[in-house]
Amino acid sequence: MSDATTNAYAKALADIAEAEGVLARVDAEFTAVAAAYESNDQLRSTIGDQAIPVERRQGIVEQLLAGKGAHPLTAQLLGMVIGAGRGRDLSAIASAIGNRNASSQGRAVAEVRSAVALSEDQQRRLGEQLAKAVGTEVNVKVIVDPSVVGGLVATVGDKVIDGSVRTKLDRVKARLS
Amino acid sequence: MSFLVSLLASEEGHLTYETHSWLLPETAEIIYGGLASVIVFAALGKFALPMFKKSLTARTERIQKEMDDAQAVRDTAEGEASRIRTALGDIQSERAKILAEADAQAAAVLSDGRARITAEAADLEAKADADIAAAAGRVNDELKSEIARLSSVAAERVVKAALNDAAQQDLIEGFINTVGAAR
Repeated sequence: MSDATTNAYAKALADIAEAEGVLARVDAEFTAVAAAYESNDQLRSTIGDQAIPVERRQGIVEQLLAGKGAHPLTAQLLGMVIGAGRGRDLSAIASAIGNRNASSQGRAVAEVRSAVALSEDQQRRLGEQLAKAVGTEVNVKVIVDPSVVGGLVATVGDKVIDGSVRTKLDRVKARLS
Repeated sequence: MSFLVSLLASEEGHLTYETHSWLLPETAEIIYGGLASVIVFAALGKFALPMFKKSLTARTERIQKEMDDAQAVRDTAEGEASRIRTALGDIQSERAKILAEADAQAAAVLSDGRARITAEAADLEAKADADIAAAAGRVNDELKSEIARLSSVAAERVVKAALNDAAQQDLIEGFINTVGAAR
């Protein structure tokens, strides 16, 4: 899907969530679902498979949110995205909603990739340090990505701060070759 | 006449004659003979001598003409011989020139051939050296690449094996503690 279409979907969803006064919560829940979508191959292939009936794919997402106190609007918006056949663009839509939420708060979004999950305290301290690094307050969104191997990669706008073991291994490999 | 007298004298008993001399003729005979001789010689001088002179002159002229013709033919022959000798000399000179040119061309062709063969041999040698060096470099590069690949795989395995939870947390804390200074 093109960026324009993704942004259009994200804007529509964010407008609804903002109108309901739950943009931050919807953003956080969309981010969590998107992270699960990215880290789980089976979930990704199921939600993105157009051959599977829409009702079944929506049911899977509802099961994913069940018992976690998700806002009903989040489930409805996710069902709408999957029903429109945009399951494959879930991560991009979640990212755009996150940007919208951050900009509405006068903050930036810091996308942080890590091989392991970060605690709440680590996310808070990381947000404070990233704010010092980029000069503006940030909303930290952690994506668990095993390809990072170790350490963190933080992306705030165009700025990338790479402290990952993957990049260090790639540098060693480049130096050897 | 003496014969007739002798014949008549041999007839025995017939007529006897006496002559003045068995050698000298009669005077009248001398006179008539002399006149006849004069007339004959005069006629010869009058008619035969001019014809003889004319014939002799004509023969002389004919001989002279033949001699002149022969001289002319000889001159022509000598001229032709001279021309042939000159031509022969030219031919010899031309032959020598052609042979010299042929020798020079052969020497040039031989020299060029040697130079070309030498250059081609040098090129082939250089190309072979370059091919050998390229092959050696390629093998070296492939070997280095394989060593690098194996080393990186080994390094990644070692690092992943060493990255337990504590190490992961150390890396994360290290990033958090230093990222603030990244501005």
